[in-house]
Amino acid sequence: MNNIDINNISYEYHRGRQIFNNFSLQLKNGETTFLTGCNGCGKTTLTKLIMGIIKPTSGEIKIFGKRADSLSLGSMGEIIGYVFQYPERQLFSSSVMDELTFPLIFKGYNKIETFEKAKDLLKIFDLEKVKNSYPSLLSYGEKRRLAIASVLMVVPKYLILDEPTASLDNHRIDALSDVLIELKNRKIGMLIISHNKTFIEKHKDRVIKLEGGQIYE
Amino acid sequence: MNDIDPRTKLIQVLILSTLALIYNKLSLLSLILLAAIVIALLNRINLLSILIRLKRLVKMIILIALIQSLLTKTGNPIFRIGNFTLLTDYGLIKSLEFILRLGIIIVSAAIITTSSSREIIQGLIQWHCPYEIAFMVSVAIRFLPIFKEEMTDMITAIQLRGIDLHKVKFNKKIQVYKYILTPITINSVIKAKELAAAMEMRGFRAYPQRTSYMVLKMQAFDYIIIGLSIAAAFLFFTFQ
Repeated sequence: MNNIDINNISYEYHRGRQIFNNFSLQLKNGETTFLTGCNGCGKTTLTKLIMGIIKPTSGEIKIFGKRADSLSLGSMGEIIGYVFQYPERQLFSSSVMDELTFPLIFKGYNKIETFEKAKDLLKIFDLEKVKNSYPSLLSYGEKRRLAIASVLMVVPKYLILDEPTASLDNHRIDALSDVLIELKNRKIGMLIISHNKTFIEKHKDRVIKLEGGQIYE
Repeated sequence: MNDIDPRTKLIQVLILSTLALIYNKLSLLSLILLAAIVIALLNRINLLSILIRLKRLVKMIILIALIQSLLTKTGNPIFRIGNFTLLTDYGLIKSLEFILRLGIIIVSAAIITTSSSREIIQGLIQWHCPYEIAFMVSVAIRFLPIFKEEMTDMITAIQLRGIDLHKVKFNKKIQVYKYILTPITINSVIKAKELAAAMEMRGFRAYPQRTSYMVLKMQAFDYIIIGLSIAAAFLFFTFQ
């Protein structure tokens, strides 16, 4: 079964630059797909289309059998975890710990369990020392690790990561790799935009190269 | 008329907005709005496209005017349900005044946008406005679209964390917006600090006198327009 079905979508920016024309792609359960290609070829735009942040001009996208345009951003966020290219745009709280816990507490999840889960993620992503710091004042690498950790607080059915290894050192990339392996063992599918060849080689089931709005596998 | 000096446009806008604030009569406000529209059309502004772009704001203005007219109980009743007065003539006049005033301000702002922010800043500098203040105005204009984009991204991002804003109750929605506004405020302070450091490194205020590549020159046409605008305002003031 496909997690994500992209059928004949077209998309162009307001100023008329066409990015996709009758573009189709199927992403499967438990599969780790890497999306590569030069700057401006539409990688981030494709992930935004999948998440419903922007809408295709034609065609349809199905997420676990449901039309993407019928899902609100909130519902989409519960199904697919999305880590932005620029992590500072997805950090909101006054502390790292609050950043991890507030969406779940807001939705009425058990506080003790939520904090336990957050502590585990703080350990995995080496953020324990900065747990009381203000997220906006963290280093870029720390912000990225926090953004990934916060998305993993709600166990998503699928994960989209936009350049997750950017600004991470080798040690932190290894820690991220361990998390991805564990997620893969849990059959969580992933779409990852990356230019890191070693990272791609380690985790790839499939590599898609985008060029001129077309796929080169 | 797009070649006229930005200072001429600033004077026109200053006159229009001052008159809009001084007068309350519907007929006078309609005249001022009409004058603003004529100036905008002479500047080749597509007012329709601006109205479409600002449709949310226009809807909000109409809604506020409606609420204002319904909540004003002074005046003679126009529409009643039983003993309850829904609309009075005074309330209706006040809401129309509000719509006309904001209309004048929107059209005036549209007139200003026919000059680039750089030209307006240069105009202010040549009016001997301190460069630091003019520069602050230009930075504020430059950062407005960035803040708008940041706000949109943050609202999207917080929803993608599984918070459905459409289903959240009003009191909890305020809590969500607190989460959105806090980082925007803090990020603004960080951006301002970084910008200040970058400016210092590039020698901002290194010398007391500044020269400018762009120098605005008032033409005879500008003086005619300014003269006509002031004369029209004076006549309006005298004979209203």
